Order: sequence, then structure tokens, then C-alpha cells
Amino acid sequence: MQNLTWLILALPLAGFVALGLCGRVLPRWLIGLIGCGVVCGAFVAAVVDFISTLGMPATARTVDTTFWTWLTSGGLTVKFGLLSDPLSAVMLLVVTGVGFLIHVYSIGYMEGDAGYWRFFAFMNLFIFAMALLVAADNFLFLLVGWGGVGLASFLLIGFWYTRPAAVAAARKAFVVNVIGDVGLMLAIFLLFITFGSLAFADIFSKQYVVFTFAPHIIAPASLLTQIVLIPSVTLTAITLLLFAAAAAKSAQLPLHVWLPDAMEGPTPVSALIHAATMVTAGVYLVARCAPLFGAAPFTLGVVGVVTGLTALMAATIACVQTDIKRVLAYSTMSQLGYMFMAESAGGFSTGIFHLTTHAYFKALLFMSAGAVIHALGGEQDMRKMGGLRHKLPLTFWCFVAGGLALAAIFPFAGFWSKDAVLGSLLARGTENHGAPLWLALYAVGLLTAGFTGFYTFRLILGIFWGEYRGGEIAAAHGAEAAASRPRGGDNSGNGKTARDPLARVHEVGRAMSVPMLVLLVLSVIGGAYGLPWQNALGGFLQPVTGAAVELVTSNPLFYVNMAAGLLAALAGFGLAWRAYGARAASFIPSRNPLVVAAEHRYYIDDLYDVVLVRPVVWLGVQLRRGIEGATLDGGTRGSGSLVGWSSGVLRSLQTGYVRNYALLLFLGAAAILVYYVIR
Amino acid sequence: MPLSAYLIVSALLFAIGALGVLIRRNPLVMFMSIELMLNAVNLSFMTFARFLNSVDGWMFVFLVLTVAAAEVVVGLAIIVSIFRTRRTINVDELNSLKG
Repeated sequence: MQNLTWLILALPLAGFVALGLCGRVLPRWLIGLIGCGVVCGAFVAAVVDFISTLGMPATARTVDTTFWTWLTSGGLTVKFGLLSDPLSAVMLLVVTGVGFLIHVYSIGYMEGDAGYWRFFAFMNLFIFAMALLVAADNFLFLLVGWGGVGLASFLLIGFWYTRPAAVAAARKAFVVNVIGDVGLMLAIFLLFITFGSLAFADIFSKQYVVFTFAPHIIAPASLLTQIVLIPSVTLTAITLLLFAAAAAKSAQLPLHVWLPDAMEGPTPVSALIHAATMVTAGVYLVARCAPLFGAAPFTLGVVGVVTGLTALMAATIACVQTDIKRVLAYSTMSQLGYMFMAESAGGFSTGIFHLTTHAYFKALLFMSAGAVIHALGGEQDMRKMGGLRHKLPLTFWCFVAGGLALAAIFPFAGFWSKDAVLGSLLARGTENHGAPLWLALYAVGLLTAGFTGFYTFRLILGIFWGEYRGGEIAAAHGAEAAASRPRGGDNSGNGKTARDPLARVHEVGRAMSVPMLVLLVLSVIGGAYGLPWQNALGGFLQPVTGAAVELVTSNPLFYVNMAAGLLAALAGFGLAWRAYGARAASFIPSRNPLVVAAEHRYYIDDLYDVVLVRPVVWLGVQLRRGIEGATLDGGTRGSGSLVGWSSGVLRSLQTGYVRNYALLLFLGAAAILVYYVIR
Repeated sequence: MPLSAYLIVSALLFAIGALGVLIRRNPLVMFMSIELMLNAVNLSFMTFARFLNSVDGWMFVFLVLTVAAAEVVVGLAIIVSIFRTRRTINVDELNSLKG
């Protein structure tokens, strides 16, 4: 088979280089064409790759192409190789496919922005880094992609670099991600010590023999090529460090703080970060390391508890936020919690299934939210929206479809994947006479499903229902970037004559509506490849992730689970309708301490501020005053002024008179002569 | 004549040249003094060549003459261009490299 994976990497990289070097002088249509064209090409290559993978027998689907040896140092040999196996193929499809739609959407969304070329260059870099992350065949290049994704997200979150809030958010995202990078690096060191290699093929193809105390077994050398003896402490450490890295990238407790702030970037960036790239990297990492995680039950428990808490916590916060993008951000955290929960229960392919459907509907929701923000001239607060369903019918229906998929309403894509997630938790909880932890997590999952229904419909009702509550729309074209772009004279008719405050609100252009419609279709039917009766995706991924723990259709709990998830979502819907639908939406501040705590994100950011940020800043200030000023600078400045003073003395030798130099020359020659004579 | 006689003349010539370089302010005269020093050295080379019956000294003399000629060409060119820009060739006034 012709392995086209390299093309998927090379195209976005070429786009990034071309736009980054000469984007400034290119016309806008060409920038858009290059930016989207390379990702489109990558998507086509991914499709070809996927189909050819599909066409092969299940045992031969992993094709590992080595391009060159990157480095050899002692026992460490790292080759630059790209992997084409079911998991990579699925991930590349999602990354390039949804990424391409978001690129097209950006053509419309970023239309008036001064940094048009910069935006597309960074977006291409993002796609490249993510593709490298999911296509690498060893941990070192996975780390390279991992870091590249962090860099690209930093650049894009801080895209409007004149805004202090955006810069702060970008820095926060970078710092938190670096914590995860360190975890990944430490895990890689441990993996190398244990396995003597960093290649996936060497690590995941072995049988692990986990022991607590050193066994006195002398294994024959022939057997050592197939099995690896690992102390259980080491394996637990490796998997916990890997999960720490995944938690930082995928915004799980306690490293989630960067994700809501990342909303400071342009909305297409939010869509890209939340749907196709970045946050899915953690879920991918855990699924990729499924053999390791599967052998470490303690870690799986930790993963389950942490991510279950994240899912619940984020869903409750989403219920009280009023910034529509923040609601979606917390919802992403919550859904990522679902994915990890499924993985912790052993349903690694189920996690990937939810990842793909989530990519569709979350990208759709972000695009629709972007369309609303675009139409309202940069307004993001849903307290100032309402009644927009007649003005923005297309956006409304897209939002509703995305929302129904998010809330897991039958038969939308999210229903099937969330059902599978809950099913794997329940299956794990009921096997072998029951496992209380997983049953508790199942309850958490159901509760979160209820909250999900609540905040989703609160969002829809708040934006599209009732009466319009905002002020006049000044300039319909001034999206959130209003501050950062030069204002033309197009807001001459500044609402003086318009009676209707929404007169200037208009539906999105074709560049934005077409990607939305494509995602609308995917959000509706996207679950078709993971139906519990015919789990095509699960079977496809099985060679990599192993058989998923799932609720088989013959299990009596099967339909109970399905109904429970649906009922939870509908209950959330009902509550949302009672609170925001029947009456003209009421966003009255509540005094309920739980609500207040959720509005303040459970004070986690404030806690970090007090415990980490302020002491570090204080330490920095003290060091600057005490150590740097007197000690370090003293040494540096002292040596500098010493050189200055001594050269001041020596320069008097340079008289500029030729005869002085000549005299010195003769005296020197004479001195040498005298030395040789009297010696 | 003994060897020392030639060498004394050579040393005298060298000393006169060196003094000329150190004392005179006119670069043309300084050049002449330098030529004097070079020729003093040439004289000692020839002397030793004769006394040791070796051609090595001759070769050095040719080398020195050639280099001296080239040096004069460059030096005179520099002097001319200095005179064009500064309207003087007094070496005591050419001290813009003073530290």
C-alpha cells in the first residue's frame, strides 16, 4: 500500500511555511485558497489512507513506514516514522476533515481581520502539529507533535495580541500545557528504561508481566522478545504520568483552568481546539497506550474518578455561565470527561467514538455560536440575546441540531456515543458481581447527562427564544475583533434611523454556512458507524485498542441504560424550559451558595492564584530586588566597568603619532636583541 | 678587508635610517630612511654571501629589493591620497587614530 501519511503532514506544513514567509504580500483570496487548499489536500490523503486501510485484512492494517533514522545514541535509536493504523487513520480523518471545515468557515469569519494571513499560517501549523501527534510511530515524535500543538494553541489563543486578556489566556494555556509536557517526558524516560525503545511497535506488541516483588524467574532469551517484566510501581507511574499529560492537554481536573480562558481566541480557533485538535490529544494518547493502561488497574481507577469529577463539575459550571462560548467550553470539558471515563472502564474505542461525534457537534455549536456573535457585533453574553430564531433561521437550526447531539437526544450522533460511554461504565460496574466504583461513575455519568440537557437547552432558549434583550447592533460586521481591526466608514448609518434593534442582524455568508450544514448532517447521522448492534468503529479499532468493554445488546440492562440516558437529558430539558422557556428568560442572579460557587468556577482559579501564582510572582519580585539587583547585576556591571576603566588606561598608549609607534617598534626590537646578546 | 668593516658600515647605515624614520616628519624622507635601512640589511646579506660562498644571501637581496619596490608604490599612493584629502603630509598632523 502506498502510505500517504507523509502527505497529510507535508501539506499543512508547506502551507504554514508559505503563508508565514510571504503571506503579508499575498492577496486575500490566495491566502484563503492556500490555507484551506492544503488542509483539503491533507483530508483527501487521509480519506485515501483510510480507505486503503479499510481494504486490507484486519491483521495487516498497521503499516509503519520509517523514513530515516533521527538519532542513535547508545542504546537509544529513534527513527522518524509514520504510522498508518486504524486509530491513526480515524484520528487523521477527524483532524483534517473537521479542521478543513473550520478553515473554510474561517474565510468568512476572519474576513475583515488585519491578521488574515497570520491566522491561516497558525491554523495550518496547528493541523500539522496535530497530524504529527497522531501519526507518529514513536513516543519522541508524539512528544514533538504534542509540543507543537501547545505552541500553535498559544499562538492562536493570543492571536489578538493587543488584548491583555488574550495574551494572559495564551500564557496560561502554555504554562498549564507545559506541566503536562513534563509529565509526558518523564513517562517517556520511564518507558525507555523499561522497554529500551520508544517505538510503539516495540512497546505495545509485548506481553506485560507485572509483578510486585522481583520474581526469581530466569526467562529464556527467546521468550524475552515477547514479554516484558515490569514492576507494578513502574507501570503505575508510567500510566499516571501519561494521564497527567493527557489531563493537561484535555483540560481535566486539576489542569483544566486554561480551557475556558482559551475562549479569548477567535471563535474558529475555539472550534478547532475543542473539536478537532488539541483537547482530543489526551484522549488519543490514552487510547494509543491502551495496552499499558489496561495492565494498570490502579491508574484506571484514578482516571475514572478524576474525569468523572471533571465531567460533573464542568457540567454544573456550564449551567450558570452566561457567556455562550464559556458554556460551550465547560461543556467540552465535561464531554472530555465522558471520553476518559469510557476509557477508564476499558472502552478505549468507545472513547474514540465519542471523540469523533463530539468533534462534529461541538464544531457545529462553536460555528453557530460564532455566527450569533458575528451577527450581534461581538456580543457573547446570552443575557443580552434572545428571540434570534426568526432572524437567524439557519444558525438556529444548526444550533438546535448540535445541541440535540450534545444533549444526546435520539437519534442524533451524540446519543449513540454517549449511550456507548454510559454502557461501558455500566458493563464494567456490573461484571463480576459488581464494581462499586464504576457503578458510582455510571451514576455520575447519568447526572452529568441531566446537567448537559439543562445547559444545552438553557443555551438554545437564552439565545433564540423569548424577546430580544440586548441593545442596538452598531455594526453588524464588527465581530469580536472589533477592537483589533481598522474601522472603515461603513458604520455611517449608525442606527439613528433604524427602529428595529435587530435590523442589521443578518445570516452568515456562504463560506460560513456550508461548513455548518456539512457538520449539521454529520451531527445527525454521525453515530451510524458506532451503533451498538453493529459497532463498525469498535471492530475497526480493535487491533490497536483491544476489545471494548461494552454493554452487549443481549444484556437486559441494554435498553434500561438507553432509556436512562435519554430520560436524564429530557429531565434537564424540562428544567431548562421551566426556568428559561415558559417565562421570558430569567437570568436573575441567584443567592444559592452552590450556584454562586459554580459561577466562580468553584474558586479553583482563585485558589491557584493564591497558592501558586502570587507566591511565584512575589518570589520573582524579591529575587529581582535582592539577588538580581545587587549580586548578579553587580558582578556583571562590575566586570563591565573594570574592562572600561582598564581600557581607558591603555588607550593613552594610542597617541596616533606614527613616530611614537616607530619608536616603540625600535625599542622592542632593541630589547629582543639585547636579550639574545646577554643571554 | 675584514668582515667587521662591512658589518660596521651596514650597522651605521641602519642606525642612520632608523634615526631618520624616528626624527623626520616628512613621510617622503621617512621612506628614504626606510630604504636606507633595507639597503643596510642588503649590504650585510651580500657580505655574508661573499664570506660564506653561498648564494642564499643574493636571493634574499633580490627578495628585499622587490618588496621594497612594491612597498614604495603602495606607500606613495597612500601619501598622494592623504595629501589630496588633508592638504598636508606632515605625519604629526595625521593622528586621527589617537585613542
